[in-house]
Amino acid sequence: MKSRVYPFYFASGALLLYLLFSVLPSLMGFYYAFTDWNSYSSEVNFVGLQNFRLIFASGVGQNYMHFVRNTIIFTVATILLKTVFALALAVLLTSGIHRLAYVHRVVMYLPAVLPMLVVSLVFKSILNPASGLLNEFLRSIGLGFMAQRWLVDVTWAMPSVIGVDTWRGVGYIMVIMIAGLQAIPKEYYEAAAIDGASAFSSFRRITLPLMMPVLTVTTVLNLLYGLRVFDIVFVLTNGGPGRATDTVYTAIFDEFSKGRYGVATTLSTLLFLIMISLGYFVIRMMHRESEE
Amino acid sequence: MMKKLAITIGLLVIGALLLVGCVAAQPGAPAADTGAPSAPGAKVTLTYMASQGWIKEAELELAKRFEEQTGIHVDYQIIPADQYFSVLRTKLNSGEATDIFGGQSGKTDLQVQYDVEKNAVDLSDQEWVSRHDPLSLEMVSLNGKVYGIEIWDTIASNYFIVVYNKNIFEEHGLSVPESYAEFRDICLTLKDAGVNPIYEPISDGWHHVLWFPMVGPRFEELNPGLAERLNKNEVKFAEVPVMLEALTQLKELYDLGCFGDNALSDAFSDANAKLASGEYAMAVTTLTAPVSIERDYPDTPAQTFGFFPMPLVDNRLAPAHPAGPSKFIYSGSPHIEEAKQYLAFLAAPENLQYLLDNTTEFADLNFSGLKAKWTPEQQEFLDAYEAKSIVYQDVVNYLNPQWMDIGKDMVAMFTGAMTPEDVLKSIDQRRADMANIAKDPAWAE
Repeated sequence: MKSRVYPFYFASGALLLYLLFSVLPSLMGFYYAFTDWNSYSSEVNFVGLQNFRLIFASGVGQNYMHFVRNTIIFTVATILLKTVFALALAVLLTSGIHRLAYVHRVVMYLPAVLPMLVVSLVFKSILNPASGLLNEFLRSIGLGFMAQRWLVDVTWAMPSVIGVDTWRGVGYIMVIMIAGLQAIPKEYYEAAAIDGASAFSSFRRITLPLMMPVLTVTTVLNLLYGLRVFDIVFVLTNGGPGRATDTVYTAIFDEFSKGRYGVATTLSTLLFLIMISLGYFVIRMMHRESEE
Repeated sequence: MMKKLAITIGLLVIGALLLVGCVAAQPGAPAADTGAPSAPGAKVTLTYMASQGWIKEAELELAKRFEEQTGIHVDYQIIPADQYFSVLRTKLNSGEATDIFGGQSGKTDLQVQYDVEKNAVDLSDQEWVSRHDPLSLEMVSLNGKVYGIEIWDTIASNYFIVVYNKNIFEEHGLSVPESYAEFRDICLTLKDAGVNPIYEPISDGWHHVLWFPMVGPRFEELNPGLAERLNKNEVKFAEVPVMLEALTQLKELYDLGCFGDNALSDAFSDANAKLASGEYAMAVTTLTAPVSIERDYPDTPAQTFGFFPMPLVDNRLAPAHPAGPSKFIYSGSPHIEEAKQYLAFLAAPENLQYLLDNTTEFADLNFSGLKAKWTPEQQEFLDAYEAKSIVYQDVVNYLNPQWMDIGKDMVAMFTGAMTPEDVLKSIDQRRADMANIAKDPAWAE
């Protein structure tokens, strides 16, 4: 206690704001998850676990577990794709390509600068089955059989959304990874080369273990982003076709716009709990791995 | 240690007091002057919130004239259509609605969406009530009191019917279908001839839903009293075979490719262009579409197009649809008298006629004593098809507010994720949810 430079109460102002605007609303959210709060009535009644039962029971047209499944598919797929592509690009742009490496990095990073809404609208047009750039291109080079109804086909809608999100997010993750790669001392690679290590084994034995802290950060970032994905799905497909690409947050938005605040709060409370526990679990797991 | 704790608590209390102080320091809470008349001589601004597409240019012009005559300014706040009802409900719930608010009429909307008995002013004593079309008046009334005014063309802008290109029909030796089977054959003939049969913009989420409740008069014709029994919860959608048949036929049309290859990505905003270019032979749109097409594409005169009702389940009835965008005065408004004055101004016969004459989409208005402007084709349709009963989104409770959800379910049906029966069950489920919220005795367990 004595060794502290600043007394504890210096933080009280920030703490108060944090309590008022972050902790209190979250706790209130827990309470409202057990009520029938809605926009049609000013009364808020306690309904116990009714909202939770509704979410966990699969009903016709309102299959909430389907939204949870979609969210998990999206999250896992984007984590894997972004990590693999970002790491490959980062390695390529730090040790592979030297000519104009900075320009390449900027180009790769650019999509992350664009607002999600703009990216989504542009891709909505590119992926239009009749007049979109992608299908037109495929047809023009004689690959018309590969042209798909990207965003409006039940099979292709989710992979298309995942693809667009990976395109946009990979540059951001790549920049973090480049920073990580540059922090690895060159001597390790030189020593490995003298010992006759192949490029692959020095990647496996040096790069990967030393990148673990960075990979932890990017995985947690991707995980939290993936679980609360909303804007890209909302603009690209609005959860469609039908409800094929609806995620938890589009469902929450839907419930809020229908005025069923209680159900919406229950969904967001559940997601909040899942995010906290998964985030904690991932950090613990990867932290242990990097220590080993 | 104790000292530090005391300082921390002290700072927290000061911070909390500061925040409370900020809130309390705000002058004049709106509740204080609710309903009170404004001070004489002060310039009044009426705020008016409406969804995109509800306010016509001519109405804005009338608002300017109103300001010239009375000094009362009307501030229009136009909200994008897909967000409108969320914004409106939030504002009504938080007691911050505009002086006048727009809303779709219909009993469920009045009761469940806007709770007009609490949120709107009773307008039953207004002069224009006696001139308002009785069907429209019914749509803005609840429990015998009039709560709104619906200045709208409830026929030309409200009847969604099949608009077809007469030239294309003639070219392929086709005539207006009298049954679903004939309609399906027409679609297949056109498709085989390389013409896209129907432009069905599914991507908007609302348009393809029209095919179902707009055929309500036919459901009623085959099952007299069905709407009433649905409202009393004596029967459910999933238990009505003709409804299942209608959805099954719609799915068949989709599966046969009658809506083209790109229906799931098509948008309603392109409908007129697609009809004008002759790329598609038909589209479900309004009686005024050909007039708008002629205005936007002068090479395609309005006479190119004819009309017939949506022929699912052999429907031959015009879809009477008296509900439409309406105006309500917010009960918490400080300018209730001025708002009434503005509505009376808009409803004055000369101003209604001005609105009618200067709005392309309108052919008539739902007030007596006006001079309509029907085209021969529109008149022919109105003479040929009887408007026997009202469409289901207007007469069946808890149906209209779930329009977009039905749209999602129907897309799931088209893509095979749901069956027509699932769609009907899903509608029943949402109706029950809404009825429970509204504490409807018919749904009480």
